[in-house]
Amino acid sequence: MGAREGGPLGERLVVGVDIGNSTTEACLAVVAPDGSITYLGTDLTRTTGVKGTPDNTEGALKAIRGTLTRAGRSAGEVGTVLLNEATPVISGLAMETITETIITESTMIGHNPTTPGGEGLGVGTTRSIAELGERQPGEPVVCVVPHGWDFDDVAATLNAAVAAGVDVVAAILAGDDAVLVTNRLTRPIPVVDEVSAVEKVPLGMLAAVEVAPPGRTIRTLSNSYGLATVFGLDPAQTRQVSPVARALTGNRSAVVVRTPTGDVTDRRIPVGELVLHGAGKTLRVDVDAGAEAIMEVVGRAQPLDDARGEPGTHVGGMLAQVRDTMADVMDIAGQPDVPVSEIAIRDVLAVDTFVPAEVRGGLAGEVALENAVALAAMVRTSRSRMQLVADLVSEGLGTAAEIGGVEGEMAVGGALTTPGVDRPVAVLDLGGGSTDAALLTREGECTAVHVAGAGELVTKLIDSELALGDRDVAEGVKWFPLGKVESFFHLRHEDGTVEFVDQPLPPHVFARVVVLTADGPAPVPTRHGLDHVRRVRREAKRRVFVVNALRALRQVAPGGNLRALEFVVLLGGSALDFEIPDMIADALAPYGIVCGTGNVLGTEGPRNAVASGLVRAHTARLAEEARCPTG
Amino acid sequence: MPDRVTEPGPRPAVLVYRHPGAPTPVLRQVCAGVEEEGVPTDVVDVPGPDDAPPPSAVALAHAAAGESRLGVGIGLDSSGAAAVHHGTLPEGTPVDTTPARAFPSDWRRVGRTAARVVKHLPLG
Repeated sequence: MGAREGGPLGERLVVGVDIGNSTTEACLAVVAPDGSITYLGTDLTRTTGVKGTPDNTEGALKAIRGTLTRAGRSAGEVGTVLLNEATPVISGLAMETITETIITESTMIGHNPTTPGGEGLGVGTTRSIAELGERQPGEPVVCVVPHGWDFDDVAATLNAAVAAGVDVVAAILAGDDAVLVTNRLTRPIPVVDEVSAVEKVPLGMLAAVEVAPPGRTIRTLSNSYGLATVFGLDPAQTRQVSPVARALTGNRSAVVVRTPTGDVTDRRIPVGELVLHGAGKTLRVDVDAGAEAIMEVVGRAQPLDDARGEPGTHVGGMLAQVRDTMADVMDIAGQPDVPVSEIAIRDVLAVDTFVPAEVRGGLAGEVALENAVALAAMVRTSRSRMQLVADLVSEGLGTAAEIGGVEGEMAVGGALTTPGVDRPVAVLDLGGGSTDAALLTREGECTAVHVAGAGELVTKLIDSELALGDRDVAEGVKWFPLGKVESFFHLRHEDGTVEFVDQPLPPHVFARVVVLTADGPAPVPTRHGLDHVRRVRREAKRRVFVVNALRALRQVAPGGNLRALEFVVLLGGSALDFEIPDMIADALAPYGIVCGTGNVLGTEGPRNAVASGLVRAHTARLAEEARCPTG
Repeated sequence: MPDRVTEPGPRPAVLVYRHPGAPTPVLRQVCAGVEEEGVPTDVVDVPGPDDAPPPSAVALAHAAAGESRLGVGIGLDSSGAAAVHHGTLPEGTPVDTTPARAFPSDWRRVGRTAARVVKHLPLG
């Protein structure tokens, strides 16, 4: 021990540092000779590099120097820097659709142009507008108009054909002209427009075009027997076209072309079985059965030793993908690679979801909602290199640095500084990759568990269910409340309150569902209304965090009994969310548990629990050494 | 005194203020854009004062928006530039504009934007 540390008798400056997946936090404190702790300040910065790697040193040093500057202390005064031992888990995600809609032979156009023209049902033979003049009078014709036709010319041609006796009953347009054309027709017909791949519509085939009045949905083409009536189908054929009817449900307009071999198939992709090893048993569950069935089986196989998927099936592919990513993360330059076969999956969270996917073979960019399952998986790793980070920090700062304790236990210690909390206390750390729970009993015993699935999975669910295709937008939807811009000067919040603004809102957010970020409203690119987006957001949070909170707490609670818990403190980045803590508190209320977001040191909110816990643990160790010196 | 090109109906409409020199194809596509959305237009010729430079599309649109009972106006200047305005907005911040040399699809978009402001639908 150096003289500046002052020994057990002098005052001692210590820094606790918690390197997390996304943020690095530091806590500076003075430990007095009597063991009392005075906290001088905290700091927070982005984690540099992947957690548990030497790249973390830069961020750790930045956070340490940050606290020192704020407290007006210098690095030379620091006695010890204490680092967390990383939670020994890493997690991965995979998502697969388990159904697929395919249109073969271009038989169906089921999209929803914003402005179709006319209304009603027209059944006839598809003919190009260029050859309309050659048609025999009396034959019902569905006119197909390619790109490049002006709306006045289309209307004039159709009117001339009708005048010549051709029975034009409907039209399919490439451009966005349906209302313009119908407004100029002498005889009103239903018109569907914005069919981008109009050249693929087969000509000379029987077709039906239906447009519903504004505010209504189609009645005939979305009804299997309606299709059977229109096309004169027998029962076997009716059975075959029923997926078409289902795919068109809810549309305001649709086109169905009857071709000899055309078909819409609603294919169920074999997903395969998940094989779970644990608790001395091997259990199998068909992933097709859905998330609830999977989680029930996962519950029976606790604690899980490994999970595998049937090779050659989707679930096999998903778990292989997770394993590969994890092997990459765990590989260390200069050391032999981690064999993929040795990576054991220690927890799985399955979530039912749906993915709007573009229909294969569609002519107008039709989208079908496909069922999907998302899996979050977690593996244990023994390859944390926090000791190396500690050595580098020590070198960079010129002071002693050591591993002060394991995250879970440290977090409980920090959580105890929340006003109103006492033992037995459980913490729930709502992180990015995993949800962690730790329990400190009245006797001072600590147990910790980690379950797969947290903030990253919520973002992924929001991203895919709203078809955003942009992780940053999905993060925005997760983090911020929604609003709807109702005019250039007012917006309605998701709770219904209306706010007037002094500066005009920009046109790109006009009439849109927006997320209310710190930088102002940002549009959510979706055709869905505010209520739908809100429901998707809340459901994603519930299916991940509420499910995982209960799952993790059951694993640490004595006898798996939630009623045995008294205080639950929520920590971690997602404890700062504006609704997740309320959702978890609601779910725990029936068990008589006091649950709330932590307020570490009475000032830090759910932040800094591990960093300040490291300081507490270190102080306790010093006191122990002072009582029974080991020399 | 501006000349009315179309008869005003009993219903409110998107008001189009057009400089007489504005190219006909621009007016046709702009009005088509509004019509496709199912919203009526009234077109008015606005030559502007003789002793001043011809008004810009944005100025025309702003004036039209102030006059329209729907609060939405479109301006077409002699060069063929177009603008959409709303009655509540300051003149300098129009809803949408296209330059003098643009494509028919841009003019169509200007009309569609004006109609969608009326209908309170996203403009994009």
